[in-house]
Amino acid sequence: MKSILQSCLRSTPLKALASCALGLAGAYALAQQLVGPQTNPPSAKEVEQRKSKGGYSPERMKNPNLSGHAGRMTVTPPSDIPVDKIKVPNGFKVELWAHGMPGVRMMARGSKGTIWAGTRIIGRVYEIKDKGGVREHRILAQKLTQPNGVAFQGGNLYVMAINRVFRYDGIEDNPGVKPVELTAQFKLPPDVHHNWKFIAFGPDSRLYVQVGSPCNICEPSPEHGQIRRYIADGSGMEVVARGVRNSVGFDFHPQTGELWFTDNGRDWQAENGPQDELNRVSKFGQFFGFPYCHAQGIPDMDFKKKDPCKGVTLPVALMGPHAAALGMRFYSGSMFPKEYANSIFVARHGSWNRSSLFGFDVANVRANADGKNAKVTPFMTGFMDPKENKFWGRPADVLLMPDGALLVSDDQNGAIYRVSYKK
Amino acid sequence: MLRFDAARRMSIICRAVAFVCGVAFAASAVFAQSSGDPRRGAAKAVACGSCHGSPERPPLAGMPSLAGQQEQFLVLQIFLLREGLREVPQMAGMFNGLSDPDLTDMAAHLASQAPPSGNAGRDPKLHTRGAGLSKAMGCGSCHLNDYRGQKQVPRIANQREDYLAATMKAYRDNQRTGADTSMTAVLYKVTDSEIEALAHYLAHQ
Repeated sequence: MKSILQSCLRSTPLKALASCALGLAGAYALAQQLVGPQTNPPSAKEVEQRKSKGGYSPERMKNPNLSGHAGRMTVTPPSDIPVDKIKVPNGFKVELWAHGMPGVRMMARGSKGTIWAGTRIIGRVYEIKDKGGVREHRILAQKLTQPNGVAFQGGNLYVMAINRVFRYDGIEDNPGVKPVELTAQFKLPPDVHHNWKFIAFGPDSRLYVQVGSPCNICEPSPEHGQIRRYIADGSGMEVVARGVRNSVGFDFHPQTGELWFTDNGRDWQAENGPQDELNRVSKFGQFFGFPYCHAQGIPDMDFKKKDPCKGVTLPVALMGPHAAALGMRFYSGSMFPKEYANSIFVARHGSWNRSSLFGFDVANVRANADGKNAKVTPFMTGFMDPKENKFWGRPADVLLMPDGALLVSDDQNGAIYRVSYKK
Repeated sequence: MLRFDAARRMSIICRAVAFVCGVAFAASAVFAQSSGDPRRGAAKAVACGSCHGSPERPPLAGMPSLAGQQEQFLVLQIFLLREGLREVPQMAGMFNGLSDPDLTDMAAHLASQAPPSGNAGRDPKLHTRGAGLSKAMGCGSCHLNDYRGQKQVPRIANQREDYLAATMKAYRDNQRTGADTSMTAVLYKVTDSEIEALAHYLAHQ
């Protein structure tokens, strides 16, 4: 291969194009001959094995309207963001707080007020500063592989892409600081699917990290399908929760300090579920059922075993079919009415694997500290029109501000909204 | 270093070709959400056909046909290549300075062309095996039953077999960027031999 490229470099441009292409093709043809295709049609057993590897063919796959939505990579001007369509309960107000950041998702706040936000496909980390009523942003990092995870502790910003980890020391005092790379210490698996990270520091000062299952449905390897915690330098890894499909949001209860997390339900099983979960970790290392037992105790249609829900910690609340319940935070602020105290705001990114759209809102969940009596209520809606079955915005994360207001990121519009309350 | 030099060389070639064809390199942060103008795009996309083929001529070995490809898919991929988010050595630098409207115009033009009609050399046994796998894996769910694709999901019908196989392997091995990671999930633990059967089937529609 090296010699082919070298010969390309020596020749004239047009010859280079041709010889490059032919040379690469020749190398590829040779490789194909060496592998040699297998020519028998797949047997029923092989198809069954294929399913067990994460491939599957339910009836629902015949519906062509159940494929994913395309994200938008380009800037959406504020004039194209219909904030007036957003609905919140009486007394609450929504404003467009920041914009012009395609793909903006998970948020973290520094002790001096800087907000950082991760993204997925566009590969950027944004830094947002409030300049007296006007927000300004810059691209702090780019060309990373889905740097979805951001967290802040002790003056330092942590950024986690699928395959790399960075720490920006004292970034609020030294905006030009070069990041320290911690990739080797964290030893994250290389798989991309369901492995864009959500990260947050717990009350124990440990960094909690999701490592999702790299499939829709499969028996994950021992290093997947979990939430871990690390000492901030990447050492001391422990598995906190197992049997997790794909969590893209968690927070710690303001009173008990326990970890609560959202988990996305599997696709292609049914129109109405299995529903996404809101879970509570009451014991270290608890098992949450993936891939055998979903939602409130629904056995998997492909991965079957006797008593699939035995030993499984069932969810505190169901977050809706294919809702994509992502970022969540407990409300410990003082601005909202007192009935919101210790309740949870959950960004529901919205369904794709469902013929009628579901989610595309921020839900509020009230539950006892032990997880009992949970009630889910849509809180911030209007991003989706159920009659038209179309959406214009997708809430991805929520963040509590020191004044008690709530920030909500929308990766479809590259925007962050601020929700406030006044009697 | 070698890769970089090759990329730079390619980029120089591209700029020369593009200059001759009158491509306007203008940076712009404004993106029209509406689709591009195929007529304007035709002039901007002249260089593409030399490797990617045209309705009359198949692409070079290992290359995708862009004719009749889904517009949203093209916009996304050109964007990813321009931003350096998807790295293809042969494409490096080719879109430097290309504005968002240039990009959407090119995509609109390519999408309006007649798609590839088929490839020679069909192997009935391999074809049947690929068809069975495609059914089992539900490829038609997103790519549709005739594999013409939709929105950000590409047309895979009658693409080159070598391109299809290499692309599926790249997705499986976490080496390829798409609109999301669903292809990596679908191809999780799929073997080379299964991928080659799928590629053969899809290339012969």
